[in-house]
Amino acid sequence: MSQQLQPEEPAVAAPIGPQYKEEKPEATVSTPIKHSNVHILPQTPQLIALLTMIRDKTTVRGDFIFYSNRIIRLLVEEGLNHLPVISHPVTTPTGRSYQGVKFEGKICGVSIMRAGEAMEQGLRDCCRSVRIGKILIQRDEETCMPRLFYDKLPEDISSRYCLLLDPMFATGGSATMAVEVLISRGVPEERILFLNLIASPQGIQGFAERFPKLRIITAFVDQGLDGKNYIVPGLGDFGDRFYCI
Amino acid sequence: MVVHYSPPWANTHIIGIAGSSGSGKTSLAVKIVSALNLPWVVILSMDSFYKPLDPEQSAQAFRNEYDFDSPNSIDFDILVERLRDLKQGRKAEIPVYSFEKHQREPKTTTIYSCHVLILEGIFALYDPRVLELLDMKIFVDTDADVCLARRLARDVKYRGRDIHGAIKQWTTWVKPNFELFVEPQKKNADIMVPRGIENTIAMQMIVKHIQRALLNKSKEHVKALRALGQGHDADEPLPPSVKVLPNSPQLQGMHTIIHDTDTSREDFIFYFDRVAALLVEKGMDHLAFKQKEVKTPQGNKYSGLELSRDVSAVVILRSGGALEVGLTRVVPDARIGRLLIQSNVRTGEPELHYQKLPSTLIHDSVLVLDPQITTGAGALMAVTVLKDYGVEEDRIVFVTYLASMVGLRRLTKVFPGVKVIVGKVEDGFERRFIDERYFGS
Repeated sequence: MSQQLQPEEPAVAAPIGPQYKEEKPEATVSTPIKHSNVHILPQTPQLIALLTMIRDKTTVRGDFIFYSNRIIRLLVEEGLNHLPVISHPVTTPTGRSYQGVKFEGKICGVSIMRAGEAMEQGLRDCCRSVRIGKILIQRDEETCMPRLFYDKLPEDISSRYCLLLDPMFATGGSATMAVEVLISRGVPEERILFLNLIASPQGIQGFAERFPKLRIITAFVDQGLDGKNYIVPGLGDFGDRFYCI
Repeated sequence: MVVHYSPPWANTHIIGIAGSSGSGKTSLAVKIVSALNLPWVVILSMDSFYKPLDPEQSAQAFRNEYDFDSPNSIDFDILVERLRDLKQGRKAEIPVYSFEKHQREPKTTTIYSCHVLILEGIFALYDPRVLELLDMKIFVDTDADVCLARRLARDVKYRGRDIHGAIKQWTTWVKPNFELFVEPQKKNADIMVPRGIENTIAMQMIVKHIQRALLNKSKEHVKALRALGQGHDADEPLPPSVKVLPNSPQLQGMHTIIHDTDTSREDFIFYFDRVAALLVEKGMDHLAFKQKEVKTPQGNKYSGLELSRDVSAVVILRSGGALEVGLTRVVPDARIGRLLIQSNVRTGEPELHYQKLPSTLIHDSVLVLDPQITTGAGALMAVTVLKDYGVEEDRIVFVTYLASMVGLRRLTKVFPGVKVIVGKVEDGFERRFIDERYFGS
């Protein structure tokens, strides 16, 4: 994982909007990532407007919660699309037969405390009774390395698809440790989906290379990291803005 | 090619009723309305079109010396303009005249979407421009002594006038004006009704005539609707203004649950709400955005976007209500207007029963919500109403879950500027079942 200081890369500006629109406003869009296991949400005007809202320091907490929930729901919807379905024919209320599909395989959510817990509501909006495990990872004051303090996971986690939740991905120390915890509990790497709002380019690339079979769903890859390893431009401390400020 | 759609209230059937003061015009109009027993009949009194008076005229009016019974007191220009609007199916703002102030009130009343309009007033058959717009011209011919008796009773009992003033008004203005201006209108009339509402045979004839005219209009409307969106190649792709949600595995799974007759209502509502939120999110992408630069808590700049306009929603009842949870998950503070459009069980014709729209609509981006487009008739009607309110076509995004090919073609041929967000397109016609399942009734 890249820990070194990187100069700010130039932001990618692009006109945003549906094809038919002649005049499209310009905005900074996600840094492209070439790894095939990194899925960045389509950079639609609506998504950019939501990100603008939650990055803005003048956005009040109620709005921050609401708008980040909307992005999280889109992330969950995108993530769930990576799960398999099987054929399932049904009869409609009008008496016709309908060649449908049904969801296959059990899932569970695993949130990296505390910011990841903010994503649980969005997950529940899409999967009502989903089981949710928790992992607490904190930076060890002495070694400055992430350390696992606590975890509580469903017992049958090894037979489930895991949606790992963490909104901000800077250097990725905690996420990497969380994935290692899941793998150690028997979850195959290919059944882990990492759902994330904003990532740093260097962090996410390293993570994608280290776990090539894991799938990463993110809303936006930012420009880089600053001297304190904060994502630039980022949005501040997600947990604080969601829970406290 | 843009196809024209004419709503059922266009080419409004307008009936003019003239006659002397006290002849029973208003009573006849009211009787016709109650005999027709339809929600789309409106009485328009020419009293609303009195010209505002200057201070001198006003003083005369308070001394009973102003001539309200001459055609000069009526603002025919505005009347003709409003009648033309209504005839075209557009919205008309009717002035409110205050008899206390002899001025127009600042507020107006709105008339919109009536199928039959009854214009009553002593000069309803006077202006040739009005005559041109009338489909039926009635003159109520009541004996002058009966008129005088009614007028005196009304002026003294309800308008607080003394008997001498009322008689003075009659002899100075009403009677000479009747002979000069009112009575000559008889030659413009199609029907003379002696004795006013006591004349039940005349009443029945009039009502029958209107009913026949309405039935013909309804048939024409249904025929015109059928013709829309037909005669095209069945393989012709949908226009780019129609955006269908990507057919992802999750969406297919949700379609299955929603279509499955064995799904519990609890599950149906949960999954329909989930799809609804996705549809509304998709719809938001087609609204207008503008650039916005913000600063993050660490002081970094980000150049992003924000909505250019507020978002309003218009729910087409009853079924549109099923998309409201999805709407509030995305835009909880959207101003919401409501239109109740129902298909007539006998003719199949869509009918606008109720409309309540936010006044800010013309400034906003507008999401129109209806979970199903079947024949497209309701959708056409809804967009017509919005356009008549002054909402530009390219600011309207129609959000629907299930749509038939035919319905989509009709809607997009008539309104090519409207974006349509669809969950799933159907080849044939599926009857409306979403609202039944969602509301359980």
